[in-house]
Amino acid sequence: MGYLAAAMQTEILKIRKSKMIWITLAVFTLAPLMGGFFMFVLKDPELARSSGLLGDKAQLFGEASWPAYFFLLAQILAVGGTMVFAFVTSWVFGREYTDQTIKDLLSLPTHRSIHVIAKFIAVLLTCLLLSIYVITLGLVIGMFIGLPEWSQSAAVDGFTVLMVTTGLTIALTPPVAFFACYGRGFLAPIGFVILMVVFAQVIAAIGYGEYFPWAVPALFSGVTGTAGGLESLSIFLVLMMTVAGVAATVAWWLLADQH
Amino acid sequence: MGTVIEIEKLSKRYRNVLAVDDLSLELKKGEIYGFIGLNGSGKTTTIRMMLGMIKPTQGTCRLFGEKVTLSHYSLWKKVGSLVETPHSYPELTVKENLDLFRRLRLLKDVNAVDRIIEKLKLTAYANRKAKHLSLGNAQRLGIAKALLHGPDILILDEPVNGLDPAGIVEVRELLQDLAGNEGVSIFLSSHLLSEVSLIADKIGIIHHGQLVNEFQTGQLESLLERKLLVNTRHNEAAASALADQGISCLTNQEGQIEIAERHLLERPERVSESLVRNGFPPIHISVEKESLESYFLKSIRREGR
Repeated sequence: MGYLAAAMQTEILKIRKSKMIWITLAVFTLAPLMGGFFMFVLKDPELARSSGLLGDKAQLFGEASWPAYFFLLAQILAVGGTMVFAFVTSWVFGREYTDQTIKDLLSLPTHRSIHVIAKFIAVLLTCLLLSIYVITLGLVIGMFIGLPEWSQSAAVDGFTVLMVTTGLTIALTPPVAFFACYGRGFLAPIGFVILMVVFAQVIAAIGYGEYFPWAVPALFSGVTGTAGGLESLSIFLVLMMTVAGVAATVAWWLLADQH
Repeated sequence: MGTVIEIEKLSKRYRNVLAVDDLSLELKKGEIYGFIGLNGSGKTTTIRMMLGMIKPTQGTCRLFGEKVTLSHYSLWKKVGSLVETPHSYPELTVKENLDLFRRLRLLKDVNAVDRIIEKLKLTAYANRKAKHLSLGNAQRLGIAKALLHGPDILILDEPVNGLDPAGIVEVRELLQDLAGNEGVSIFLSSHLLSEVSLIADKIGIIHHGQLVNEFQTGQLESLLERKLLVNTRHNEAAASALADQGISCLTNQEGQIEIAERHLLERPERVSESLVRNGFPPIHISVEKESLESYFLKSIRREGR
């Protein structure tokens, strides 16, 4: 087994044994449940009203169907995923500083970039598994509710939007890793991502969302009403953030004084 | 014996603070070097530079003749370290923590973990999560991590911190065994000269980032000041009588007579005879040796800026 495989194995062990994974799983269990609840209510508002699930003054928009539910799940992954994946990333990188275990990693006979790459791969795998969990749970809930309009094309479209949204959201995690290292903990990366989400809201509202990487996954997921159809410039900007984040994190591990 | 650690004119500056200033020292194979200093004197910064965690502003550090740089990471195969308070992954057990580092060091021998657990007397805590360990056992786990791969150089920052007296003796004996029987070179820092003098072959005192004093531990006895302390019923008059007889003495703050003449330290009965002859028979006479703490404080006051 090489250094990278050993580093990945230990990163996955740390994640598996952490509370972080249970917290993120809980968040990603609640989100599709809430989505399913809305679909259930939308499917038969009168039943929901008579059974007390819905107040008299509730105003509901949208429709209960598989395409609508897929887009709702995609938005959960775009907006919720930005926060949850940032939490995963800040934990994987920041915990070495808060637990002061970074010095043990730096004393190992391996190039420091191996640790950074192993951590990024561990983040990628964790976020992918969390996304698959959300999608699978969503499908089960959708089937349980008995949503209408299931078709092969609706499923293919829905999965495509879900997978691309997941990919775009995960692609924005490397800058979070850099802030976890630079800030030596959790506060800086979480603060950074909250700021990016706020900026994304404002910038998307004034019509320039496609030029702001943190607004791109939500735009693609159909938060404005229509999913898909991104400009290649938007995808390029997201990928630039990935490259910049990875490069900055590796540079930090290689060049910064580690106190 | 070959030199295994060689630090040459090492300095580290943080903006206006000179944390380490032109520090040079060396350590030979199988030697134990005690690095003494107050908190904030530059011990940990020096150790971090030795381990390549901090880049020196000036100077070099060589281990086994090879300069410590980012690209010479293979050096760390032969080096074990413990920097500041030991920390481990809190959600993992003692055994899992050690096994994690066994894997990261690509050690194939799976029994290495059990052996080191037994060596550090951690068997009873092997399945306890690191977050539930006492400070002493966390320290043992830190030392176990440093020793897991059988290093040729050990760099330990305050290794007995948090250990109870029995633990301190155990770690001391373990380190002496490693150095004496296995030829491991050990660089350890502490703020206690008395502790380090029991184990180190060579001692360096650092203050304000400068190496202000360095000596072989064997020389320490001769470096400590000794004086003859005398009490009579009338110390002032007795001191005056001794002075009249050509014996250089003074009365200290406690009113005792202090004599530092080396030949009298060897023959204190001559002082007694003289006092008796002059009608001031001594009621107490003893040779007092300067404490190690006092010598340490004197070293940093004399040389420190």
